[in-house]
Amino acid sequence: MKPVNAVDELIEALRCLPGVGPKSAQRMAFHLLQHDPAGAQRLGAALARALASVRRCARCNTFTEEEVCALCASPKRDPSALCIVETPADLATMEQTMAYRGHYFVLMGRLSPLDGVGPHEIGLDRLLARATDGAVKEVVLATNFTNEGEATAHYIGEMLRDRGLRITRIARGIPVGGELEYVDAGTLAQAFYERRPA
Amino acid sequence: MSSRQRVDHQPAFVLHAYPYSETSLLVEAYTRAHGRLPLVAKGARRQGSALRGALLAFQPLTFAWSGRGEVRTLVRCDWQGGHPLPRGQALLCGFYLNELLLRLLPREDPHELLFDHYAQAVARLAAGAASAPVLRAFERRLLQELGYAVALERDAASGAAIEPDGTYRYEPERGPIPVLPGAAGGDPLLLKGRVLLALARDDYADAATAAAARDLMRALIDHRLDRQTLHSRTVFRALQDL
Repeated sequence: MKPVNAVDELIEALRCLPGVGPKSAQRMAFHLLQHDPAGAQRLGAALARALASVRRCARCNTFTEEEVCALCASPKRDPSALCIVETPADLATMEQTMAYRGHYFVLMGRLSPLDGVGPHEIGLDRLLARATDGAVKEVVLATNFTNEGEATAHYIGEMLRDRGLRITRIARGIPVGGELEYVDAGTLAQAFYERRPA
Repeated sequence: MSSRQRVDHQPAFVLHAYPYSETSLLVEAYTRAHGRLPLVAKGARRQGSALRGALLAFQPLTFAWSGRGEVRTLVRCDWQGGHPLPRGQALLCGFYLNELLLRLLPREDPHELLFDHYAQAVARLAAGAASAPVLRAFERRLLQELGYAVALERDAASGAAIEPDGTYRYEPERGPIPVLPGAAGGDPLLLKGRVLLALARDDYADAATAAAARDLMRALIDHRLDRQTLHSRTVFRALQDL
């Protein structure tokens, strides 16, 4: 159905958000117009500004307004470590751990052979240039523990092999504080297969 | 089959899964007695969902589902285990097997023997077996189950036994036909008899024979794919070109 007037067009536009169907979109549109025109003004301006100014960091590929993002520019970060994550959300979660003090590279995706997403689609040549800039000594593969994330980690590991870098993969297994009785069998089995000397 | 309301305890694998609405997954399931069918796993993408870690490809599962229509609803998924998840190159081979099934096996067309063969192939890949014999055997079994058995021991013109040093041209719709030696190279369908015999025995010790066997199977599969490209093959090749 083609939107005929401004209200319908707004409802239709809001549906591009994840999880917003026609009903929620209509509720949002009426709320903005009826109860919160100032909020609507802010939303519109913020969207336009973000679209105009946000781009990809030249070093880590995440979203930023500068040429290089604040994290990459920070002198407090360890330039010898590079952590590879799939998305900016993964980067944020990794930062919350406060366990890692190095730099990042955000793939903005993962290899997914069945969806036709190959190495060229996720720009692995940029990662290769970043990881071999001379300063990086260790590459930490922090892609997801799905089959696609594992395939991505394998591919990057092979790509960076024999380049004098230490390549590590984050560990998986029983959650911290986990009691075996309550852990699902698949996780426990994989933790057993990947057990390490104690 | 679509008249049945509920199916319980079916041996199954996930071939692929797509996000569906905000919190669900659409699973391309491969089941033993019902073949390949789409199932909606409601709430599978919610944080803390028990289905989240279980609905992964390459691990033996059992499914229960209900509903009519084309897309049924997954009501239960139990992890069966038996081997670790494949890693590295074995994982890419696994994607290839899944893509073959997604492209070539019609929906709701059960082939129980093929299912068992698939389960075995995944287990062998996960255990770190050499990939060539696993892939060639699965390709042959898949074509055979689909009704395109690959003739390897007798030529299709006279029915004579294949000679190791003879030259044959493999006609996808007929089988190997003897031809005069010395014909142009570079055609995967033109090969020595020993390549056919190696395929029949699953013996890939000789690298040149193994490569010719791979190229023949690739050509026969491409013939059935009707010019669709296999993405997993492209990724695999990119990895080997590193």
